[in-house]
Amino acid sequence: MGVRTFTKRQVSVSAAVLVLLALYPLAVRGSFPMHLMIMVFLFAMLGVSWNIMGGYAGMFSFGQAAFFGIGAYTSSFLLTAYHVNPWIGLLAGGVVAALAAALIGIPCSNLRGHYFAIASIAFAEIVRIHFNNWKLIGAAEGLTIPMQDESLRNFMFHSSKAPYYYIMLGFLILSLGVCSWVTTSRMGFYLRAIKEGHDVAKVLGIDVVRYRMAAIMISAFLTAMAGTFYAQYILYLDPESVLILPISVQIVLVAMLGGAGSVMGPVIGAAILLPISEVTRVKLGFKGSGLDMIIYGTLIMLISVYQPQGVWGFLQKIGRKKR
Amino acid sequence: MDNLTRRKFLVGGGALALSPLVVSRAFAQGKTIKIGAVYPLTGNLASTGLDCKRGVELAVEIINGKYDLNLPLARTEGIPGLGGARLEVVWADTKGEPKNGQAEAERVITQDQVVGVIGAYQSSVTKTASQATERLKVPYVCSDSSSPTLTERGLRYFFRVSPHDGIFSHDQFRFLKDLEAQKKQKVQTLGVLYENTEFGSNVGKEELKYAQEYGYKVVADISYTNNATDVTSEVGRLIKANPDVLLHASYITDAILFTKTFKEMGFNPKGMLTMAGYIEPGYLPAIKADGNFIIVRSTFALDLAKKKPLVGQVADLFKKKFGIEMSENAARSFMAPFVLAEAISRAKSVEAEAIVKALRETNIPGDQVIYPWKGIQFDPKTQQNVHATGTLVQIQDQQYVTVWPFESAAKDVVWPFPAWKSRK
Repeated sequence: MGVRTFTKRQVSVSAAVLVLLALYPLAVRGSFPMHLMIMVFLFAMLGVSWNIMGGYAGMFSFGQAAFFGIGAYTSSFLLTAYHVNPWIGLLAGGVVAALAAALIGIPCSNLRGHYFAIASIAFAEIVRIHFNNWKLIGAAEGLTIPMQDESLRNFMFHSSKAPYYYIMLGFLILSLGVCSWVTTSRMGFYLRAIKEGHDVAKVLGIDVVRYRMAAIMISAFLTAMAGTFYAQYILYLDPESVLILPISVQIVLVAMLGGAGSVMGPVIGAAILLPISEVTRVKLGFKGSGLDMIIYGTLIMLISVYQPQGVWGFLQKIGRKKR
Repeated sequence: MDNLTRRKFLVGGGALALSPLVVSRAFAQGKTIKIGAVYPLTGNLASTGLDCKRGVELAVEIINGKYDLNLPLARTEGIPGLGGARLEVVWADTKGEPKNGQAEAERVITQDQVVGVIGAYQSSVTKTASQATERLKVPYVCSDSSSPTLTERGLRYFFRVSPHDGIFSHDQFRFLKDLEAQKKQKVQTLGVLYENTEFGSNVGKEELKYAQEYGYKVVADISYTNNATDVTSEVGRLIKANPDVLLHASYITDAILFTKTFKEMGFNPKGMLTMAGYIEPGYLPAIKADGNFIIVRSTFALDLAKKKPLVGQVADLFKKKFGIEMSENAARSFMAPFVLAEAISRAKSVEAEAIVKALRETNIPGDQVIYPWKGIQFDPKTQQNVHATGTLVQIQDQQYVTVWPFESAAKDVVWPFPAWKSRK
């Protein structure tokens, strides 16, 4: 990967995909296909955000749920307690999450590999337990977002899911833009250098702490945005639904499966994982046999054994061969 | 009521197919009313979810078939107000996650065109699912989630049949007062112990509120995480505070752990009043005789049949159909389909506003429910069933026995709690 230059083919494929995605809500009926795609976009965005710190800078965070939850809680708390518009809450959540990331990032910025992962889990668990007991923000009861009139201004829609769909698609495109800007900028090269050789990068004069911090904060900001979206979409949140470890793991899974360290990898990962988990649940879950979980688990195992570089790596290999 | 067993036997299950009411069946077959049932059918809570599912399945069978039972719509086939239309359940699995509660409620409404929703056992999932039904303007009848907050949100389409944790907490204090008045057992101090998720912390809050209202002194107020692997420090604090009565809100694994630790460390209050975990089907098999004399809140117990024959008839049908005893979870979920179908029948329509109107006018008498209630009527503001109350059961000889309200009791309450050392 060098400085990004788009081939004609890439541009036309992207344009075609975008047009198809824009038309999707007009083509489907019922809420489920829309919900499915919204979940795909949401987790793709979370994966892309993780990728900025995990995939490029080598900081394997298993604590993204903390930023996700902080985003969701900040906007929801501001809305329920002070009637602050959720769009302002969205930015506030991003800022709070970025600050929290900085706070945790400073002591952890020299931790490598496993140690960073462990610290990130500990951080997320501390946040979860704290939120679970924090009476001001509803503690374990969580926050119920009051039903308001549907409008873009209120960030709330009842009659159709299409607005949520387009907003989430917009967020995803934004995060892809940020990610691709990070990777092609000077910072992206520094991050990759740090990932390949922490000490070598330091010796070469790269301010390791500064760039790692920047990556964590950008990642946290985007993750928190997704959190606010989640809160406005579901209209209820408690620590169990936004701050738990399985969410962090799912985010890593999406990115790793699709291909960590490539811009589009997490999108592919989400586009594969989410439909499998949702469709198997809908088609098989009601029987209560747990078969859906078995299929889901088996697929993840197959992909990780046969395509450890992720699906995106596999697609690129095919692409290269064709040329 | 002697011929009831025989008749029930005749009409039960397969006999239906041979029913002479061919005409009405043919008519009914033409029309099906779908309702959505949202439950955790896979994942950590799958066994509980499947228990609820059995309760709903039996209810729907009774509504659709002809049974000589004193339950709403039991004696007629299908929904009489809609020409005997049959009730069909569309099952939806939440995996126990709140976001799936919303997605599944929306899916069954928009894709399967259900006219009402029931479920979802966990209060947090019921919250998101009922936000979804509110958005899509579809009635939701819940008879198995117990968070008080559910009916405090001012939702228009949400109704709750079963008691909530505030009512259960209140029951404990009414019991303590009854104990004092009728059995001359004075209680002065309380220890309040609760796990710290939505359920436990709500119960803790309610108990502290009632303790003040009823004039008891709280000498210990302890919350803990329900996945703790060691609770010696919590029990140590309780022993030090030495309350007359312990109030404990727990899930199952922590209930087992605490019981063992109580015994090991010799915590001997005069009584233990508990919730939830202590009545899950897995509790007694794990703890056996050490569970004796603990008192648990409940909405249902099989021994209610002594005072209320309907309970025995339904429990028999349940056992015949599924081969196991009807549990509290199954019994709670059992009621929602009746309430919804009965309202649809009176509304003579599947239109949401008409059903909501009928639900608001619901007045099911106490002899048509399988719990010791005065009936089902919804509060006009909160839409909570105003007659819903709990009962207290005590574990005696490793069986749950109804001991309060004293007038519905199957056996006398054993009080005070016998010290661990004095037991075999």
